[in-house]
Amino acid sequence: MGIGSVRRCCFVLVVVAVVVGIGCHRPPHTLSGVMVEFQIQPKPVRVGPVVIGLALTDAEKRPVTKVRIAVEADMTHPGMSPVLGQANEVQPGYYESHLSFGMAGDWVILVHGTLPNGGTLERQFDVRSVRPN
Amino acid sequence: MLSESRCLVSLGSSPSEENPGSPPFDLMQVPVLGPLFRWRYARPFLQAPLLVVSVAMILHGLFGPSLAPKNLASTLSWLHFRGILVLVLLCAGNFFCLACPFMLVRQVARRFFRPRFTWPRVLRNKWVSVALFVLILFTYELFDLWSSPWWTAWLIVGYFLTALLVDGVFKHASFCKFVCPIGQFNFVASTLSPFEVKVRHQDVCTTCMTKDCIRGRRDATSDLVVIRGCELALFQPRKVGNMDCTFCLDCIHACPHDNVGILSRLPGTELLDNSLRSGIGYFSRRKDLAALAVVFTFGALLNAFGMVSPVYAVENWLGKMLHVSHEAPVLGMIFAAFLIVEPVLLLGVAAWLTRAWGRVQRAFVPLAVRYSYGLVPMGFGMWLAHYGFHFLTGLYTIVPVTQNFFASMGWPWLGEPHWTLTGIPANAVQVIEIGFLVLGFAGSLAVTHALAEEDSPAKPLAAFLPWAVVCAVLFSTSMWLIFQPMEMRATLMSG
Repeated sequence: MGIGSVRRCCFVLVVVAVVVGIGCHRPPHTLSGVMVEFQIQPKPVRVGPVVIGLALTDAEKRPVTKVRIAVEADMTHPGMSPVLGQANEVQPGYYESHLSFGMAGDWVILVHGTLPNGGTLERQFDVRSVRPN
Repeated sequence: MLSESRCLVSLGSSPSEENPGSPPFDLMQVPVLGPLFRWRYARPFLQAPLLVVSVAMILHGLFGPSLAPKNLASTLSWLHFRGILVLVLLCAGNFFCLACPFMLVRQVARRFFRPRFTWPRVLRNKWVSVALFVLILFTYELFDLWSSPWWTAWLIVGYFLTALLVDGVFKHASFCKFVCPIGQFNFVASTLSPFEVKVRHQDVCTTCMTKDCIRGRRDATSDLVVIRGCELALFQPRKVGNMDCTFCLDCIHACPHDNVGILSRLPGTELLDNSLRSGIGYFSRRKDLAALAVVFTFGALLNAFGMVSPVYAVENWLGKMLHVSHEAPVLGMIFAAFLIVEPVLLLGVAAWLTRAWGRVQRAFVPLAVRYSYGLVPMGFGMWLAHYGFHFLTGLYTIVPVTQNFFASMGWPWLGEPHWTLTGIPANAVQVIEIGFLVLGFAGSLAVTHALAEEDSPAKPLAAFLPWAVVCAVLFSTSMWLIFQPMEMRATLMSG
């Protein structure tokens, strides 16, 4: 086998290794002990004000209280301004956030929480097909 | 060689000779730019940063956040790249192809693989690239590529691999000329660019014995090509316009007389030119090029239509009519209506009326082919309006996304991402959108009117009127589209 063939084989191997390497990658799956039940009103969801409800429970179904929660709503298309807000605890373990969707389409709600013990809570919820007014 | 020499002798005068009072502006004479472009390694120098950015986009797309607005792959691809691309094409020329990162990888690969085959004769046209162009538009809508960094990254990887495969097997720039859909988009749009790679003085070419611009410059002792000639088969003295020109600078570097420049010209004038073009032939005989122009023009409207509320009503209505719940067949019908039925009807009727009213002698198909290029300005206006809107309204999102990229790589040098940075307010951008559309409309009217004057000197208005109506239909549809509420859904047929 000549030097040229070895170089060619090396090049092909590098390309194949890169493609297979990135192809085999899967995003890490995160686990958390806190269950989050997501609700949104009104239904069907339309452009304008919405109320997002988050019910937080632990593994024994007990409400998780005193969590500081920031809510972020993004469109699935890049370049759109996110809508930011806070969620306040209106009942033990139940949090509400008032947001306003500025455009019809698909939205993604990101929930960033800080637990009383300093732990963090990250969740993502899809809100599909927000309708125009 | 003899026939080539005859052609050279019969060439017309250069633009500077035609207008001695206003010689074209030459980018090669600009300080910094001129020396940069003359530098033999200018292309890899410009490609390298884009290759680094491409690798970053692939990595972030595959391993970064799955939410499109927070990912470099989707944000750069669907906002900044597309926006900058059309604006550079409008203001300068096909400089993206010059800095194309796919070709840098190809050049490295060609150090290992020498392609042995020539591109098949039967495929030496634009049909494959037109099909790929449509396929990209179709998959963009069907799989909502804009909302998926993962698929966007794979699209970029796919581009690199296809370029490697095609140009690893076939000689010259087969990928650029016959395959690359982005390249075809750039070729068509750059017919409206204000700059063109062009010889400065035709008389210099007439006396040139080497023809290095096409053959490549050879080493005197070994006779090996040391500087490439045009890989896209564009012989400079007979090259007309920007079609198929990647601005790769090879001809500029190869010309032993320093007679090739990047010259200013009136945008769109090449759409009127039906002379024999090197590497292309006659515009009016190229049905494949006309199909490309049609897909470029009507695809602009279709691509924008996919982002406004009425498309969902149309899809749901079609789905109910056909009793199908899957999106692909419904989307396929919309594509067929926009890219086949509508253009065939509009262009067919307009061409027929032009022949009838204007007493034009030209045959029906060549006439329709010729005037289809006249719609390119309107299409480009729509691409500018659409891509310009996303680019300008999301202009500053590059800042938080880049911050996020470095933070996710474990290098939080740029601080916490400022997600509230977006761009110019939409109502201000809408004025710019209208400006682009008016510009495109005016351009299409000017080109089709000039074609009508040429085809029917006795009845130019009668020959022009059908095409004015076609332009008006496209313009009013475009205006209607930009005033529709945007609705960016990934789930089209959810009802």
